[in-house]
Amino acid sequence: MPTAEPTKPLENIRNSLVQVIPEAELLDRDYQECGYHLEVRLVMRGMRRMAREMKDRRFFLETITAVDFLEYFHLIYLFTTYNEASFRVMARVKLLPEVRPFSVWTIYPEAIWLEREVYDFFGIRFEGHPDLKRIINPDDVDYFPLLKNFGKTKFTTDIDDILC
Amino acid sequence: MLNPKTIDDASIDQRVYQLNLGPQHPSTHGVMHLLVTLDGEVVLKVEPVIGYSHRGHEKMAENRTYEQFLPNPARMDYLSGMIFNHGYCMAVEKLCGIEVPRRAEYIRVITSELNRIASHFIGAMDYAMGLGAITPFLWGWDDREHILDLLEGITSYGRFGGVRNDITREFYDGTRRFIDRLRGRFWDYENLINQNIIFIKRSQDVGVITKEVALDYGVTGPTLRGSGVGYDVRKREPYSAYPEFTFEIPTREAGDCLARYQVRMAEMEQSLNIIEQALDHLPPGPIRAKVPRFVTPPEGDCYCAFESARGAVGFYIVSDGSRIPYRIKVRAPSFSNLFVLTEICPGHFLADVIAIFGSIDVTVPEIDR
Repeated sequence: MPTAEPTKPLENIRNSLVQVIPEAELLDRDYQECGYHLEVRLVMRGMRRMAREMKDRRFFLETITAVDFLEYFHLIYLFTTYNEASFRVMARVKLLPEVRPFSVWTIYPEAIWLEREVYDFFGIRFEGHPDLKRIINPDDVDYFPLLKNFGKTKFTTDIDDILC
Repeated sequence: MLNPKTIDDASIDQRVYQLNLGPQHPSTHGVMHLLVTLDGEVVLKVEPVIGYSHRGHEKMAENRTYEQFLPNPARMDYLSGMIFNHGYCMAVEKLCGIEVPRRAEYIRVITSELNRIASHFIGAMDYAMGLGAITPFLWGWDDREHILDLLEGITSYGRFGGVRNDITREFYDGTRRFIDRLRGRFWDYENLINQNIIFIKRSQDVGVITKEVALDYGVTGPTLRGSGVGYDVRKREPYSAYPEFTFEIPTREAGDCLARYQVRMAEMEQSLNIIEQALDHLPPGPIRAKVPRFVTPPEGDCYCAFESARGAVGFYIVSDGSRIPYRIKVRAPSFSNLFVLTEICPGHFLADVIAIFGSIDVTVPEIDR
């Protein structure tokens, strides 16, 4: 069923993002397929500028998460509005291991916890975070559970084993 | 008792102290710990300490198939299990491009809305109990028990592409009876709680969340709608069969604990309307699409948002083209709603912290996942 066709607000946000972060790559995505309307691929340097722009346009930060691809991470930021024309913008930052990302907590205080969670599970340390410590796991553990090389992943390679 | 002579001047000045509220505390709805810094009775700082019921659902998802993960989402927010189950199925269906039969969508909506009412009963009545009123709590659990009986009767847990079992005649009639019963009960709750002077005094102008704070902290759900923002995923990004029903999104402008309580009560009535419409127009037909025993989504990612009883939940699934998810991230509304406590509690009395915490209505296992 319907939802938010690429409307005028989407055009507006796209135009202003092009101005604020000219180096970023903006991709239109099919909402029906992937659940967000606009994907912004950028490097970490532009993230604070983008967050500021989204805040000015009354977007709230839905979540921050990471995906471990072994050689690099993807940091995912999702923004949505409370406004009538609701659409979702995803910022995808490719993060090489030597790069330390910046915290956006000065713009979105919610990021204090969201970034702590990313640190807790992936060991990604955010520059400028006021209180970067474990949040869900106990303080004294020395592992980062959601890294792909932690623990057992894909415990079964052959699905047919389960069937019998 | 301390001998006054043993208290020296230095310790008289030392007024600021810390209080551990929880992890085992009757009003923390589970195992949660609030580290409160107090000056006398006045709260200076609140620091929620979470993670006591962390079970690693997101890691679990990475080493089992999509089907094997099916029971897990309902265990995250155990009070809106049906809604989470519905949402997870939707996310995987979106990823695989599976069309769901309309009858199945209707059944999912009915169970989700019944579950929302059950959850709001806990949210609203547990809040009243936190303020010292035990009767509404017991009344609420009585009504809630009827819903649980109905849901037990069908256990039509969602499956990819539809639901497992069709609804029965007993369920249909029972739900109709329940709607009539509950409509008659709202007046009782109104009389019992809303006129109560203690309840009003403890809730009004306590823990005000402004629109700005809500935006800063990503607050969603009834907690947000109590602040006058009519954001509901069911309306803004209509999913499942919701666009086919007429219902309203109740909001209140005040932003205090009372407003959040009122929004929950008003939402229950709207949920009843949705259920009634769905029962009236329940389409015939199949209840499950043809889906392979093990789904294999194509490579890619998708984000699926839906409205649980606590706010906007989102499943972010990354697929590497195998039968096992590469990554599942759950956006838990309670997580963001809880963090707002640090902003709104300072300046209130300690007793108000219990009221504010109750009015936000978080589920701890959902925060910890």
